[in-house]
Amino acid sequence: MKELKTGSIASVVVRFAYAGCLILSGACAISSGDEPDQPIAYNHKLHIETVGLECAECHRYVETSAAATLPPLEVCRSCHESEPLTESPEETVLLKYVADGTEIPWKRIYHVPDHVYFSHRRHVVLGELDCGLCHGVMQEQTAPVRSAFLEVKMENCMDCHREHKVTNDCLSCHR
Amino acid sequence: MAKWTMAIDLDRCTGCGACMVACKTENNVPIVTPEEAHEGRVMNWMEMITEYEGDYPNLSVRRMPKPCFHCDNPPCTRVCPVGATYRNEEGLVAQIYHRCIGCRYCMVACPFTAKVFNWHEPIWMEGADTCYNPDVSRRMVGVVEKCSFCAHRLTKVKEEADGEDRSNNDGEYLPACAEICPADAITFGDLEDRTSAVYGKSRDYRAHRIMEDLGVEPKVYYLSKRT
Repeated sequence: MKELKTGSIASVVVRFAYAGCLILSGACAISSGDEPDQPIAYNHKLHIETVGLECAECHRYVETSAAATLPPLEVCRSCHESEPLTESPEETVLLKYVADGTEIPWKRIYHVPDHVYFSHRRHVVLGELDCGLCHGVMQEQTAPVRSAFLEVKMENCMDCHREHKVTNDCLSCHR
Repeated sequence: MAKWTMAIDLDRCTGCGACMVACKTENNVPIVTPEEAHEGRVMNWMEMITEYEGDYPNLSVRRMPKPCFHCDNPPCTRVCPVGATYRNEEGLVAQIYHRCIGCRYCMVACPFTAKVFNWHEPIWMEGADTCYNPDVSRRMVGVVEKCSFCAHRLTKVKEEADGEDRSNNDGEYLPACAEICPADAITFGDLEDRTSAVYGKSRDYRAHRIMEDLGVEPKVYYLSKRT
């Protein structure tokens, strides 16, 4: 009996220690952050306000398909051909990619799990939602975004669906 | 509200099994190893029931494709303790894999054995792991899965129709099995739409449903002259 008791206490201690580790590791992940460094410090504010670009001009499939997609090199190349337009060192980096003809390895910030169907077209075109609702005010971002503005979580989706009185049927998003 | 229904004409069905293959590839249903198959762990969302009648040489074969019947009064959803399986407004009996705890109550409750359980982590054959259908999630070990009437296709069809500000046309939303059937034995559509092909089939004098006396109201009609 005594042995059993010691065993159960030990197991409780182990469990607490494990939970502690989990919490700590979680905290570390938040503090250090999963912050991808983009290959080029793209300035959204400059491109939107000064150049007058629209979201869909670079994220080309946002209005026609499920994925908005990250801009391929040819999109950048259509403006930045060979001569630098500014004195920005970041543009020099871009021009190197253009000269080499290699795609820019942009890092994705927003990841929708594969058991969820999320369509940009449905939300942006049919739902007439503003991109900023999920992605934040990009017109004011001078440096690349490091983390998701609105976390990709079911409760965030469901809150908005409830607010806009659209379906919350599991099958409409889960697949 | 639509009521998605299937009609399978057994007099047309040749039993070729194209529906099973189409279903497997469309829905990323894992192909199990021979050892697992030997244990009875074969996974099919669309099954082909084969029955032999008579003795050789006067033998006749009956083949019957069997998907999930998406019952209007489903017994499986009632027993699910976590709400992972439920019947939605359009009559589709959904299975939400990430909510499923793998208790398999629903499998026991289903009178048609339409559900299968992932006993093992699915193994993808070389090459198949890179060409699965991205519209359907791949299930993990420990969850129950079943035919969804290719509900992911409905999502896309609805989006397309909404984009053009119209309702779905009859035959626009088809599950993979109905689309592939070379004998046109499988008809699919909205039973509430009196002009749909499936409504006509459901009213055919040959139409019947399996185990109708159970009262679960299956939404798959079989058409056959043979009794």
